[in-house]
Amino acid sequence: MDWAGWALFGLLATTVLTALMISAQLGGLSRLDLPLILGTVVTRDPDQARAAGFVIHLIVGQLFALGYAACFALLGEATWWLGGLLGALHGAVALTVLIPLLVGIHPRMASSRAGLESTAVLEPPGLLGLNYGAQTPLITFTAHVAYGIALGLLLGVR
Amino acid sequence: MSPDDHLPRIPIEDYALLGDTRSAALVDPHGSVDWLCVPRFDGRPVFGRLVGGPTAGSFGLGPARPIGLASRRYRPETVTLETTWNTEGGRLTLTEGMVGEVSGRLLPSTMLVRRLTAEDGPVEAVITFDPRLGEERQHPRIEHRDRVLVCCWPTTAIALRTTPALQVQPGQSHTVTVSPDRPFTSVLTVADREPLTYVDPDAAWDVLQRDELRWRAWCRDIDRTIPQRDAVVRSLLTLRLLTYSPSGAPVAAPTTSLPEVLGGTRNWDYRYAWPRDASIGIAAFLGVGKEDEARAFLSWLLSATRLDRPRLPVLLTLHGKHPAPERELNSWPGYADSVPVRQGNGAADQHQLDGYGWVLDAAWLLTRAGHRLYAETWRTMAGFADTVAARWRQPDAGIWEVRSDTTHHVHSKLMAWLALDRALSIAEHHRTAARRTRRWTAARAQLREEITSCGFDAERGTYMRSYGASDVDAALLILPQLGFEAHGSPRVEGTIDAIVHDLDAGSPLLYRYPPGHDGLPGREGAFLPCSFWLVQALAGSGRTAEARSLFGELIALAGPVGLYAEEMDPLTHHHLGNYPQALTHAALVQAALALRDADDS
Repeated sequence: MDWAGWALFGLLATTVLTALMISAQLGGLSRLDLPLILGTVVTRDPDQARAAGFVIHLIVGQLFALGYAACFALLGEATWWLGGLLGALHGAVALTVLIPLLVGIHPRMASSRAGLESTAVLEPPGLLGLNYGAQTPLITFTAHVAYGIALGLLLGVR
Repeated sequence: MSPDDHLPRIPIEDYALLGDTRSAALVDPHGSVDWLCVPRFDGRPVFGRLVGGPTAGSFGLGPARPIGLASRRYRPETVTLETTWNTEGGRLTLTEGMVGEVSGRLLPSTMLVRRLTAEDGPVEAVITFDPRLGEERQHPRIEHRDRVLVCCWPTTAIALRTTPALQVQPGQSHTVTVSPDRPFTSVLTVADREPLTYVDPDAAWDVLQRDELRWRAWCRDIDRTIPQRDAVVRSLLTLRLLTYSPSGAPVAAPTTSLPEVLGGTRNWDYRYAWPRDASIGIAAFLGVGKEDEARAFLSWLLSATRLDRPRLPVLLTLHGKHPAPERELNSWPGYADSVPVRQGNGAADQHQLDGYGWVLDAAWLLTRAGHRLYAETWRTMAGFADTVAARWRQPDAGIWEVRSDTTHHVHSKLMAWLALDRALSIAEHHRTAARRTRRWTAARAQLREEITSCGFDAERGTYMRSYGASDVDAALLILPQLGFEAHGSPRVEGTIDAIVHDLDAGSPLLYRYPPGHDGLPGREGAFLPCSFWLVQALAGSGRTAEARSLFGELIALAGPVGLYAEEMDPLTHHHLGNYPQALTHAALVQAALALRDADDS
């Protein structure tokens, strides 16, 4: 297990993923804003939430990188395509399981069952995050594949 | 062919709204649910008879042999409807509603509860349940599972359960006897891409009653001194029912293609959210102290417009997406033969300058109420102001979304001026680059110069509909609220008087612009929000007695259960257009607030 590689490259790969997602937002492709969603767990202010959410996202990304590094160690090699495959699996799980699960645990996210007493301000992501724009599944999936490729490449070089 | 040739089965205003803040049903005075889209306002109808004809589905529950309608009303400060008929056996009452609050409990997100009671003695009632799904009016696959009727389509299923248990066959009428000690209760539950939840009818009835308590609590803090409080409360309840809780989007109306002219082609899909309406709603909710609702609208605005910034889209879906292209449902007969029935709204692609003014005015109202805008919110608003400063010289489609050529609408220019004025006011308390405020200040001054020189007819003493036009526009009734003209300005008085004179549709009604001046066939009805804006304008310019009298007349024109459509036939006083209409109800609240403020001052 390459602990130094995991520590550094996990951060780099998460930064790549976050940058891709933010670029997609700025480019008008998706309204999925992971730092905002994660950060509003701790604060209502969108700007403060983004800062807090970015840190949370880095930590979460680092934890996922641990899984990637463990897979590479088990398989005995780290390549870009293996990283890409793991990233595809990660993206699919994020879209179908992790993002929809947020509704149940996020204190400021409404669900599709929200009613009169709901004071939640974040809309639910819906199936595959489609409520945040039609391109959201594609962008999320691509960003996770890029995350995996980055990890595979960087850990493979070492 | 005259409108008399297209007599509707049920006048629009005779429908009552049932809702849960996620979807809504319309029920006629005979107890037939003729409209219900699932799982959301903009979903596919399971009961579509309203515009889809008898084969589009309905759910009837009412007396077998009615003598007449005895009363029909919402229970005070709730959204539960109570309809009582006189019958040969005595009175029969139908109490019904949709359950709004289902969080934290194993309940379906769409649940319609209906209970028949007979106080005087046994009364025969009829239940006819005929669900069809979507444009194709698909028949469901039917199953009877124990005591539950389950109707299935590929991704949607609905269940009907009754107490006493009844083996209901879709499309067939069944007679039941309701007696004083034996009410008849039905509960309809809907599942969309999820498992059905069976709910015991008596348990559902308890849930509905708890929901009533929530609505009463919601109404409790509404100002007791506001004029026509009952009508204001009904309007606020309607606005809240038309707010899609999962995203905070205000749906303009829960229906599509209820006609603006009976038998005509002015039939539009209003199951979308207009940023303009959200902004007007913010003002209405803030005015009565409902700050959570106001903030929810702003939150939706920020989220929904994110992909288009700094451009403000004209309308969006409930989750902030661009609507699918407008299309016509050719096999649907329409309400009172009014075709086409449309799905989607072509106005989405228009450029409407006035929307920016409404949105920035709402943000300004929030800051005035003591809410500091988050930095992101202010960046968004400032971006809108930049867009106005850059694009105000371009012609636009205007507030009325006329589908002919764009022009320089005076109302749009005034709202552009308002956008910049409000942005500058907010900028005093929020960090803004000096270069930016200089640009806004310059554009605001140029707008004032152009509006007063090109948009004002000095001979008639009134602002006009567009530059160089000879007609006026009822949207200009918002003039006294803008601060564009000094209080008591003869230009304001002249504009109000010209609108009342030129656009009179028989007091208290007004046309929004001279009928027929929109390039569409047929003559539309009077536009109800304009009459409420007139109340606001009169109250705002010191003509309080006139305003109060007019307001009273307008309240008397509400439908039997206190709801308003968008328009009204000036001769018959039947409501026209999509129903109930959020804009009309928001305008009613604002008119009442203007009267209250005039009294206070």
